[in-house]
Amino acid sequence: MGFSNTIYNSIFKRTSTMALAIVASAFFFERTFDLATETFFDKYNEGKLWKHIKDKYE
Amino acid sequence: MLKPASVPGYFKSVSQVVSNQLNTGKQIAILPKKSVVYIPWSSTSPAALSKALPTGNVSVSVGPAVTSQVRWAHTDITVPDFTNYRRDGTKNPAAKSDKSEDSRKNFTYLMAGACTVGTAYAAKAVVTQFISSMSASADVLALAKIEIKLADIPEGKSVTFKWRGKPLFIRHRSASEIQAEQSVPVSSLRDPQHDNDRVQNPSFLVVIGVCTHLGCVPIANAGDFGGYYCPCHGSHYDASGRIRKGPAPLNLEVPPYTYPEEGLLIVG
Repeated sequence: MGFSNTIYNSIFKRTSTMALAIVASAFFFERTFDLATETFFDKYNEGKLWKHIKDKYE
Repeated sequence: MLKPASVPGYFKSVSQVVSNQLNTGKQIAILPKKSVVYIPWSSTSPAALSKALPTGNVSVSVGPAVTSQVRWAHTDITVPDFTNYRRDGTKNPAAKSDKSEDSRKNFTYLMAGACTVGTAYAAKAVVTQFISSMSASADVLALAKIEIKLADIPEGKSVTFKWRGKPLFIRHRSASEIQAEQSVPVSSLRDPQHDNDRVQNPSFLVVIGVCTHLGCVPIANAGDFGGYYCPCHGSHYDASGRIRKGPAPLNLEVPPYTYPEEGLLIVG
């Protein structure tokens, strides 16, 4: 009750704070999401990418 | 209307038994109430007429042109169970809804906010893609730079390179040339610029070999000032690429360049 009340009054009640929270969380979301998808892509294509076979040719 | 036929009904007789058991035989007749003459009502004023007129919903419930079917609100219809559609905080009918108000609002706004975050991420990715498609591609950018080893240019010589489709002059100046260009009074120049403002390293002059008059390519180590000479209309540039004589209005252009390491020059 007290926690959700604080969250509601400090973030969601005003459009300005809500927009600010969205922009801030979008920043962190982008970093996290990009990192996660990149890691997945590298893992899925293990051994096929240039950075995995680079040492054989240089 | 008090009709004569109904008059006997208004007469009642009651016998009263007295407690001393003596029947006095006295009978009390209760007379009917005072008869009222009914005068038919007639509307003579707007106020009276408005009382007589029907108000509210007027409907015909019976008649040849209307259906006589009547729908009854049956009390045997059970109220549907909306529990599956209710938030957890409002499932209990005895609980106060304002106790869970903030958490329910938080959930709604959190969902909306999460959707907006995802949309903002997608929108940013799309916009970035579009904008980056407008910038030069990597092969164009690779051609836009030129790397020059300065050890290949002997002192006193001007070498011409091609850079972004234009001739690029790099001149290895001798100490006497540097001395001469440094001491030229700036006020005497058409396009006043000191030699220090035109070179990063005084030994090497880097200019674009396009005459500022009409775009011819000047000839190195020629002209009255020992720098460049444009054969088209006779513009004389000095060893700092500054216009000294002839029709050209401006000094030779200095491109952006850097010395990333000793003996290496990168233009662009």
